[in-house]
Amino acid sequence: MSNGSDSQPSGFTRHGNNDYVVEFSESEKEVLINLVEQIIELLGERSDNNSDDPLAAMVGITSHDSPPDDEVLLRLLPNAYADQVDASEFRRYTELTLRAKKSAHAMSMRMDLKSSPDGQIEVDHESANAWLGAMNDIRLALGVRLKVQVNSHEELEILAPDDPMRGVYAVYSWLGWLQESLIQALMDDAL
Amino acid sequence: MVKLDEKIEEAIKEIFSSDKPWVTIVWDDPVNLMSYVTYVLMELFGYSKEKAHELMMKVHTEAKAVVSTGSREEMEHDVARLHEYGLWATLQRGDQAL
Repeated sequence: MSNGSDSQPSGFTRHGNNDYVVEFSESEKEVLINLVEQIIELLGERSDNNSDDPLAAMVGITSHDSPPDDEVLLRLLPNAYADQVDASEFRRYTELTLRAKKSAHAMSMRMDLKSSPDGQIEVDHESANAWLGAMNDIRLALGVRLKVQVNSHEELEILAPDDPMRGVYAVYSWLGWLQESLIQALMDDAL
Repeated sequence: MVKLDEKIEEAIKEIFSSDKPWVTIVWDDPVNLMSYVTYVLMELFGYSKEKAHELMMKVHTEAKAVVSTGSREEMEHDVARLHEYGLWATLQRGDQAL
């Protein structure tokens, strides 16, 4: 095992009382910006957006109450009740707020990435939570597309080299590792 | 003179607890990291690391766990916050079968 090398990936580490630092290569930064921008776009989508009553939308109420057709969106914006009537009612009053909160996490992460010229990023506790939420949403989205199941990691490890999903799985795994490093740094804090 | 017997006490207790029979359930999910579920429960509910870890293990081994109890309104608030952080959560009456 090697240790202490500058090129050794370390993920997030804790600095001082309330700061968490990470350093990304140019290509890692590019991947993250690409993913985070896609999640922002996805969260802004809704086929019947234009038909929404603007006043209702302003106070966070949508005219639609059906769950999203898209599998990824459904995982990001799940039903709160098993009962369909209750689920629809809840969705009508809360889905826009949920989308806005998730978008805010992603936009905070995007801003941190965009404003770092050298790939070094320092976040406080609050921004760290935004990063965790956004990274998790990206992993949920990729996980749905990869059809991740409890024991599917073995299958995903042996995807053919030319299978594009192999690359997606590599990104998914890397994000999981990055997320874990930030959680561990934050948990140290809580001790 | 008013006097309480067991039956009346029970009835009064029910009146005051009638707004509390709802629960928030977190369901197991193949994507969310175990450490992440623990962390989110600590952050959102102020649970100790031990309690959050115990609840996470229950979700992991039994496919679901009740993470909070309270009024319907409170549980809707909890579910919304759990959804914000990507946990798979629902609410229901506490006396309903999980």
